[in-house]
Amino acid sequence: MSLVDVQNVTKKFGHTTALDNVSITFDNGGFFGLLGPSGSGKTTLLRTIAGFYYPESGSILIGDRNVEKIPVEKRDIGMMFQSYALFPNMSVADNVGFGLRVRKVPAVEEKRRINEALELVQLQALADRRPSQLSGGQRQRVALARAIVTNPKVLLLDEPLSALDKSLRVDMQIELKRIQREVGITTIFVTHDQEEALTLSDRIGILKAGRIIQAGTPREVYDRPVDAFAAGFLGEANWLPQQLLDGLTLPGEKQSHRFAVRPEMLTMSDAAVDGRNSVRGKLVQRVFAGALATCLIEVKGEQWKLIARDRDLPDFAGEGDVWLNWAPEDTIRVPA
Amino acid sequence: MKTSLLAHAGRVWLALILFFLYAPILVMAAMSLNASPFYQLPFKFTTEWYEEMAGNEQIIAAAIRSVLIACVTTVIATALGTCASVALFRYDFKGKRLLQVLLFPPIAIPWLITGTAMLIFFFFIGIGRGTPAVIVGHVALALPYVIVTVTARLSSFDIALEEAARSLGADSWTVLRRVTLPWISPGIVAGGLFAFAVSFDQFVVSYFLSEPGDSTLPVMIYTAIRKGFTPEINAISTIIITLSMGIMFLATRKAKFGGEH
Amino acid sequence: MAELTNASDRRRLVALLSPAYLWLLVAVFLPLSAMLFFSFLTDLPQDTPDWGFTLGNYARFLSNPTYGTLLWKSVTLGLTVTLACILIGYPCALVLARTIKGRARETLFLLVILPFWSNSLVRIFSWAIVLRGNGVLERFLELFVPFDLRLNLMFTTTAVVIGLVHSYLPYVILTSYLALQAIDDDIIEAARSMGASRLTILRRLLLPLSMPGLMAGAVLVFVPVVGSFMEPRILGGRVGTYYGTVIEDQFVAVYNWPLGAALSFILLAVVLLILALASPILRKANT
Repeated sequence: MSLVDVQNVTKKFGHTTALDNVSITFDNGGFFGLLGPSGSGKTTLLRTIAGFYYPESGSILIGDRNVEKIPVEKRDIGMMFQSYALFPNMSVADNVGFGLRVRKVPAVEEKRRINEALELVQLQALADRRPSQLSGGQRQRVALARAIVTNPKVLLLDEPLSALDKSLRVDMQIELKRIQREVGITTIFVTHDQEEALTLSDRIGILKAGRIIQAGTPREVYDRPVDAFAAGFLGEANWLPQQLLDGLTLPGEKQSHRFAVRPEMLTMSDAAVDGRNSVRGKLVQRVFAGALATCLIEVKGEQWKLIARDRDLPDFAGEGDVWLNWAPEDTIRVPA
Repeated sequence: MKTSLLAHAGRVWLALILFFLYAPILVMAAMSLNASPFYQLPFKFTTEWYEEMAGNEQIIAAAIRSVLIACVTTVIATALGTCASVALFRYDFKGKRLLQVLLFPPIAIPWLITGTAMLIFFFFIGIGRGTPAVIVGHVALALPYVIVTVTARLSSFDIALEEAARSLGADSWTVLRRVTLPWISPGIVAGGLFAFAVSFDQFVVSYFLSEPGDSTLPVMIYTAIRKGFTPEINAISTIIITLSMGIMFLATRKAKFGGEH
Repeated sequence: MAELTNASDRRRLVALLSPAYLWLLVAVFLPLSAMLFFSFLTDLPQDTPDWGFTLGNYARFLSNPTYGTLLWKSVTLGLTVTLACILIGYPCALVLARTIKGRARETLFLLVILPFWSNSLVRIFSWAIVLRGNGVLERFLELFVPFDLRLNLMFTTTAVVIGLVHSYLPYVILTSYLALQAIDDDIIEAARSMGASRLTILRRLLLPLSMPGLMAGAVLVFVPVVGSFMEPRILGGRVGTYYGTVIEDQFVAVYNWPLGAALSFILLAVVLLILALASPILRKANT
């Protein structure tokens, strides 16, 4: 069952096409991540669904209603902004209650729902504070409570965690996911952080130059990218040099295709391993980073990367020739 | 060694300039309390001139007229200027740059030219001289100041606040009333104070546009000075300058420090 | 910022903007255009039914050398006052922006610009009291010199210059201060780390970097001073006849409005020329 349905939407700014005939369906209750480099149109898509932009052509369905000509305030959405956009002149409770008051919800119910929302984000104690008195993480929770308190049909998040520092960001990812499950609201979010996209999303859409090039579950997109861009953008890819292809077991036709391996699929040894694909390379550098280690290996002029548990890596005396091995089925194949 | 010497010299220079700026004003204030009508020293304290001033119907009438004109100017200029600032801030359109540049002629062209041009034009279209003409002129001079002040305040406004309010279902009137106006209100107050000061202190344009015998305070003072100095003029001048400095002190405080979070 | 996608946005834009700009149109731009029109008339249409077009008003400016002389006198006055304001004000801005820090700086800066916003007429009047013969200034200076002092400053060009400098000095300080304050401390420290002397830093860094602000201040002083009439009248007495006072006379004493309009328009042309010449610098100061 789809809740938000975008069909053939095109949006232009002057002469630049920000969205180029985009069609994508967002399922009810799902957590959907839009991922792409800056300028790919992901924020434009989110803001077009929100109603800040009207598309030149195409249709947008929210629930059973065509909304492409309806202004933001009538679309019944909840949105969380990158800067959080908390009203500085209102208390936390008034911020959260804003949407209820413009909907003329009775005072008693308004109070109850504000409390429920603040409870959900665990901020009941701070209801009377001003936004300026809150930490970054607390502001983010207030913004979230404010966006969902009106029970909108869809929750839109614009780079929801980018303003937080790294350790807090990981906590908030888990928290955000919990709250989304608890409320069961269809959620679409925009990010340029691939790790964040993989952690949060049930489904991912990758955008490039105003088009959606691939959509699917994180595993599908990660394991079977449709092209070189998707392979390189979500996760890292070690590309196989053309002259090495002949001795290897590869999935499918070699003609006009490129092949790659993810860094964590590789093992390293001082001799080729039977039943696995093996290539020779020169270990350039090994970087210890706690639990994991990263090795940089030069393979026929290409820079490869290997990621493994540090204790699983054999000790080599300094730099030297090594073999890199991986299971044939872990090879990624994309059109050249 | 050399550093501190230079720094000291700089401080002395600054002190001298402050002395230069304030000494004449203080002298004038002192002389308004001096008994001699010819500003003779030694100083002898009196409030006689203030009493005489309070009894001078012409001065009182001009003062009331000046304050009324300034109030009307403030209301009109603040309302029109705030609307224009919001539009200039919120929308992108062709000619926006030109509209912003057009704010400078009323400030940059000498008031002698603007004032005489207004006089000619207002006679031509039939408004003529008088209080309505003065108000039309004052509002035009005050508008750029209001627009610049309110725009400066708006530039620190996060447009996402408006978007957030709209996403929560607020119509544009609610957004303006509950989100935008509370944020820019310090700027509006400062702009209003600027408008009041521009009007209350305005001499040149009032001089050309006001009816003789129906003039504003600065125009009356100018006419009186040209006939010869009187200590009453001293007294009213001291009051004016205290008032206008006070207003501007408030305005700069508001414009700079108001509404900070 | 919203783009103008639909008609209702466009209507709202017009509704918000037009009152202010219509007001400016009626009160400033139409009058300035009307003045140009009137400067080519023989008489005022509302006074005389048989008015006509003429170049006579401009011809009078050219044929009677007095007007040209007075315009030049006003321009000279403008240059003198501007130069004095720069020489006095720039060092002051330098001290404020580069050596004084924190709250003291804010307060002092406010004190310097505050008089600028107060009534200019009253400030000129206060100088008239100070400068009067046997007035406060002479008594004050006699505290420092052992003999009787007769400066006789009142009703001289010097008095006019002093009054005008007092009126417009804060402009130069304001604009120079804003430019100087915007200069990154790191730049100065970098120069010092390379061994630059204070004079070198001032000459090679501070002065060029703050030049747009200083020039903006200079223009903002020069333009109104050229058109001043009230200050020369009060402080200059008989020597206080300038281009501005002649224009004033045409409107309040002689009632030759077409001639006054022509003289005003010539002044406007001079002002616009100066603003145009300075506009590249002013634009730089704006950014």
